Amino acid sequence: MRKKCLLILSMLLIFTVFQVPAYSAPKEKIKIAGQFGLVYAPLMVARSQGLFEKYGLEPVWKEYGSGGAVREALISGEADVGFMGIPPFLIGWDKGCPWKVALGFVVVPVGLVTYDPDLKSLKDFKPEDKIAVPSPGSIQHILLAMAAEQELGSPNALDNNIVAMPHPDACAALISKKGIKAHFTTPPYLFEELSEPGFHLIVDDISVFGHPFSFNVGLASQDFHDQRPVAYSVFVSAISEAMAWINSNKEEAAEFLAPEFKLSAEKTLRYLEWEGMNYTTAPYGLMGFAQFMKEAGYISRVPASLEEIAFENVLSFVGSRAGGLSEIEMLQGR
Amino acid sequence: MRTERPKTFNKTLNQSLFIIGVMICWELLARTRWFPPLLFPQLTSVFSSLFSEIAKGEILGRLYFSLYLIAVGLGLAIITAACAAALALSSNLISDWVQTVMAILHPLPGISVLPIIILWLGTGPQSIMAVIWFSSVWPLITNLHTGLRSVPATQIEVGKNYGLKGVGLVWKVSIPGAFPHILTGLRIAWARAWQASVAAEMVFGASGGEGGLGWFIYKKRFFMEIPSVFGGLIVIIIVGLIVERLCFEWIEVRTVRRWGMTSE
Repeated sequence: MRKKCLLILSMLLIFTVFQVPAYSAPKEKIKIAGQFGLVYAPLMVARSQGLFEKYGLEPVWKEYGSGGAVREALISGEADVGFMGIPPFLIGWDKGCPWKVALGFVVVPVGLVTYDPDLKSLKDFKPEDKIAVPSPGSIQHILLAMAAEQELGSPNALDNNIVAMPHPDACAALISKKGIKAHFTTPPYLFEELSEPGFHLIVDDISVFGHPFSFNVGLASQDFHDQRPVAYSVFVSAISEAMAWINSNKEEAAEFLAPEFKLSAEKTLRYLEWEGMNYTTAPYGLMGFAQFMKEAGYISRVPASLEEIAFENVLSFVGSRAGGLSEIEMLQGR
Repeated sequence: MRTERPKTFNKTLNQSLFIIGVMICWELLARTRWFPPLLFPQLTSVFSSLFSEIAKGEILGRLYFSLYLIAVGLGLAIITAACAAALALSSNLISDWVQTVMAILHPLPGISVLPIIILWLGTGPQSIMAVIWFSSVWPLITNLHTGLRSVPATQIEVGKNYGLKGVGLVWKVSIPGAFPHILTGLRIAWARAWQASVAAEMVFGASGGEGGLGWFIYKKRFFMEIPSVFGGLIVIIIVGLIVERLCFEWIEVRTVRRWGMTSE
């Protein structure tokens, strides 16, 4: 009995070891690091429509909880390209990460929401009123610092009020009015919260920054860009195609995205068409963040020109108008 | 007693040499640049950032806050454990109950109850104290309970022959008899309390105004000040070493070693 068992076991072992995988042409891989939320809808579209595959590339999709985590994935080589807010990108650039912006990634409304009718402006916040942001150094934290500088005179005025919480948890905490007083957030959580009775915006993106800005940027390392130029171009093209598809097929996109966010198709469509949503690869506000972050001490230097932080396709997009800045060049500042 | 001093001295020397060796290896490895220097910084930059953080004063404030959280959490855990063990000693029924509760709750990592604690207590220092309490109370009770149970019956009888009873008997015979266990319990509880405080602040519930070293490390990670992250870790290590060498060994030498209860 025991011998038989052993025999069977060893046969199994031999078979598993020698099992030859079915032959398939080895495809070049591209590892893409994204995050969660409505902002990343183009990645979901690119994935389901096989937009990378059609160029003969095999995408490997990875999701992380914060821009900081995406940054670590890019540095350690776990990902080739990734998406994060301009501030986490600039923090990495400041520390010497050899990477640049490959494309702008979506303009969305961002804002500070509260349920407390007594909180009308940042001046009304008491030390015990907690404000949730996804992480220190995130775009939400930097926008809060910008607003604090405008209204309270110091970018650090509210640093002791912030709590680091992932969006879904903070959204649930705010709606149940537990623990936190306000949440600096993005769609769909922003829309969910503002749909609750009595919830209102204290600070919105445009009033803080002055004009719309790219909520995320797509990043690639200099090495990836130089050594794999084809994969780099495919990355830019595939994401652009996904964005264009969402813009011209909102209803179809809503139906496809609804289960991903566990929302109804109608609600998703309403969110996609919310004022301010703009699926675009155009970069906005790249330098505006850098200047503020330098002044507030979050980074130690400002890029001398866009060339230091963006690749040629972005540079050609923004252009360089002779005799004064063009509109799109002006949009890079604040 | 005469061999005591050179022995401690030798141990300190050995430990220092080992640590210096590890540090040299680290520095050499960092200088080879096999790993991205952003993720694996040189020790020189780690220490220079540690000193500048100390000069700025932030890291010491954070350390003070962490120690305060641990003191409250661990203090409450010690009181709870003492009460539970006393009750268990007084009746077999309660002893069985305590053992059951221990069997159920001891394997749960403190951090795993964090979501529930946040639902009940909200975010803030009270939640982190609760996690610290939860992480450290079970090893304390376990060790206290087994310690008190393992005091030989003959010793108790001898105590009784001397005319001791009740609290006197527990204080003079049971607690000294159980002291090796109690000390082990305290050591484990201290380590667990640190783990819980740092982990809880990193996962959730820490905020700028009320954060200890966990929040410090977390924040530095997001600003990519990796040398400062290691700086925070070094502070934790140093505090751990100081408490172990100055506090626990001090007690050990004056109690269980003097009483001849350990072989060392």
